[in-house]
Amino acid sequence: MNNAMSQKEIVRKSLKRRYRKEQRFKFYGILAIVIALSALVILFADIIGKGYTGFIKTTVTLEVQLDPEVMYLEDPTDAEAFSMADFKAPLVVALENQVSDATGKTAQRALGQLLNTYAANQLRDAVKADPGIMGTTQTMTFLAHDDVSVYVKHGDDPTYTVKLSEQQQAWVDQLVEAGVIENSFNDVFFSNGDSREPANAGVLGAIVGSLLTMLVTLLLSFPIGVAAAIYLEEFAPQNKLTDFIEVNINNLAAVPSIIFGLLGLAVFINLFGMPRSVPVVGGLVLTLMTLPTIIISSRAAIKSVPPSIREAAEGIGASKMQVVLHHVLPLALPGMLTGSIIGMAQALGETAPLLLIGMVAFIVDVPDGLFDSATVLPVQIFLWAGSPELAFIERASAAIMVLLAFLISMNAIAIWLRRRLERRW
Amino acid sequence: MAKQEDIYGDHISHQFNDDLAGLKEDFLRMGGMVEEQVGDAIDALIDGDGHRADEIRARDKQVDRLELEIDEEATRIIARRQPAARDLRLVISVIKMVADLERIGDEAKKIAKFAVSLSQEGQAPRGYVEVRHIGSHVIQMVRDALDAFARLDSEQALRIMKADKRVDEEYQAATRTLITFMMEDPRNISRCMSVMWVLRALERVGDHACNMAEHVIFMAKGEDVRHTPVEEAEKIVGR
Amino acid sequence: MNTMNSGLANKTETPEPAVLTPQEKPMDDAGLRGKTVGTPFADNAKFTLRDVEVFYGETQAIKGISLDIAKNEVISFIGPSGCGKSTFLRCLNRMNDSIDICRVKGTLELDGQNIYDPKRDVVELRARVGMVFQKPNPFPKSIYDNVAYGPRIHGLANRKSELDEMVESSLRSAGLWNEVKDRLHMPGTGLSGGQQQRLCIARAIAVSPEVVLMDEPCSALDPIATARIEELISELSQSYTIIIVTHSMQQAARVSNRTAYFHLGHLVEVNETNKVFTSPQHDLTESYITGRFG
Repeated sequence: MNNAMSQKEIVRKSLKRRYRKEQRFKFYGILAIVIALSALVILFADIIGKGYTGFIKTTVTLEVQLDPEVMYLEDPTDAEAFSMADFKAPLVVALENQVSDATGKTAQRALGQLLNTYAANQLRDAVKADPGIMGTTQTMTFLAHDDVSVYVKHGDDPTYTVKLSEQQQAWVDQLVEAGVIENSFNDVFFSNGDSREPANAGVLGAIVGSLLTMLVTLLLSFPIGVAAAIYLEEFAPQNKLTDFIEVNINNLAAVPSIIFGLLGLAVFINLFGMPRSVPVVGGLVLTLMTLPTIIISSRAAIKSVPPSIREAAEGIGASKMQVVLHHVLPLALPGMLTGSIIGMAQALGETAPLLLIGMVAFIVDVPDGLFDSATVLPVQIFLWAGSPELAFIERASAAIMVLLAFLISMNAIAIWLRRRLERRW
Repeated sequence: MAKQEDIYGDHISHQFNDDLAGLKEDFLRMGGMVEEQVGDAIDALIDGDGHRADEIRARDKQVDRLELEIDEEATRIIARRQPAARDLRLVISVIKMVADLERIGDEAKKIAKFAVSLSQEGQAPRGYVEVRHIGSHVIQMVRDALDAFARLDSEQALRIMKADKRVDEEYQAATRTLITFMMEDPRNISRCMSVMWVLRALERVGDHACNMAEHVIFMAKGEDVRHTPVEEAEKIVGR
Repeated sequence: MNTMNSGLANKTETPEPAVLTPQEKPMDDAGLRGKTVGTPFADNAKFTLRDVEVFYGETQAIKGISLDIAKNEVISFIGPSGCGKSTFLRCLNRMNDSIDICRVKGTLELDGQNIYDPKRDVVELRARVGMVFQKPNPFPKSIYDNVAYGPRIHGLANRKSELDEMVESSLRSAGLWNEVKDRLHMPGTGLSGGQQQRLCIARAIAVSPEVVLMDEPCSALDPIATARIEELISELSQSYTIIIVTHSMQQAARVSNRTAYFHLGHLVEVNETNKVFTSPQHDLTESYITGRFG
């Protein structure tokens, strides 16, 4: 009796200690999650804080008087005269009308610098499209120079170096007040390819390049991966060779992606003579990279099909093929798709292998085919992030947001597919 | 296979062991009571002790109560344990043998009744030698049957079946002797008839003992030897 | 041994007929080898099985069993866990094929034809020898599709109406028709456990097999559902040969004509069920069915 009492006592005491231990353990877990979450929050805050201005463009709306004398263009149909004409002059004149104290050649040049380098080209294209507008006054909207944009958006932020002279800043202030310089949603960012001029640079080219590359990757890696998984899981004999293949597939999943780039360079470009910088080669390289992921996840999905279903089908007399096609595959499909989409998401964010096969080139045009030179989103981000212009930094952040949006929507599709295809009965 | 200690006692379930042991014990207790009753009845008859005879008739109630108890126990075992094979045979046999025992008890009561009436007439005993002889014989048979049951001894059971033949013969002989008495002196007829009834009861006791022996063989060998010739039974036991 | 049956049912290869090297020759143990007591042989045999041995790698699971299974009889296999009864059952429609390390030796004939003939089509065999499993395992499809699956893959029905008829008659035979006729296109997995198992039986008999193997068909069911299945078994026994593995001795006693007792890979005793449950011939059988071990 006495003994039992003291035992109870011991248990009671140790209970306290155990509970404390448990509490501590819980606390560590919560701490870990807080650290991970705050890292994520900081990352997002930084990217969004830096990048949201990338979605804003600064425009200059001017009443342009297309004076043939100022432009040295008497006859717009004359090609030679056209190429010699000065399209910048009317823009400067129009700006001069809006600001005070802008006199002299130097002031005019400084004033001209407020406009985007391509503003004159824009005017030229307009005249070329409709020569009839010569001699009239047109209201046109041009992109501001990226320095103006940075000044307008971040003028009061000391971390940004404003590259405008004091006089230019005063002009910009005047123009903003007059409503000539405005901020609006940056549609250019989504409708242009890359450009030397930050204000004109967009991600469309990269998005299309990414989509084309992903298309190639998906079309190749999903069927090949699933077929390989089915063979290994259902048909391959259990022997040394199969084990060897299995181990190597697992190893392949851990190979650094740049190695795949080297392989792509050596095989597809040098050996097969495929062109550089094209989505097909990019897709092929990314296929190599995603295959192990897809094979591994597909095998896991096949393995998770209950053996009782397999047995049931075999017991009725279904052949191996019928068992696989009628029962295993439909049940494993959601898992396979999820695995594939996660693999694709990985591929979408991949940069290193694509650098090696030349998808890092500066490409202005939006690619219009699998064999057209292209770049992809992560590479575009890499390029912009390395650019000296301040305006490119915010574009890089904006592009990261676009990329993240793509990744999140792909994961959402994976979840949706899973929910939809999974038969919970 | 002659003797196995605790053949019903090695189940995984101890409760089952206890149930079967209890059933067996109660049965043997009832058997002991019945056997004693038969012996007492014969003694009372021969000694002309009417009192004792009355006492025997009263004791039959206890036997009846025990019979009900054993039946209930057996029913419970079947319902709750679903006995199989030798356990099943034990329970079934006990249910049937209990009926035999009860009948033997009834026969003892009958003998006691005649003991009372004969003691009141108080004349020189005629045919009591036969009664004593056959009586000791069938009591031995009942005892042997219980013994064979307790030890699951099919060879002994077979001996009882053979002994029953002898009892029948002796019964025939005793009947003839009594008929002779009756023919000698018609005044003896009513007394002799009573003794005849006693002998008849004893012969029935022998038959019941024999039935019990047959059940013991069924318990031990799993073959039903009722309504089969002794030679057949001998073959089965010899296996 | 039981884990071997279910756990490794994955890899498949059509097995070669097993040939044993001398060192694999099994050792005789406990004097039980080939010493089956009772009545293992029958005149109108459906299955003729002689000296059947089954190996899992180095381990011998079945150690030389000879048995006849008669037409239209219900025979139950009982025995303690790991005695090889399920393994033996699975040999009869070659379900063990899917286990790489499993080899079967001996004579196994169905209507006089060797089951393990390498030229024999296992699909055809399984159409003749259906199987019902321990856990009800309907396909994640509708009730209709579950039953229609067998006839479809074997091409037994030419028209939709024919298939409908087959489905109905199978469900009727399985005693499930009245319960499900209004919801044939509901998922089969939505039925209760007992109904699922009857659905599996309907699925098995939809291809009109000659033999139905049942591997502990009631072990996952409640007593009422079990009683229904047992009732069904006795009805089906008029048209099919039924071989049932069960852990419930009472079930074997209730449903089968003959009962076979397995012990450590040996077939110890085969007898009329009545005989086995009142007076078994072998001491091991006796000990097992009276609850002395197992």
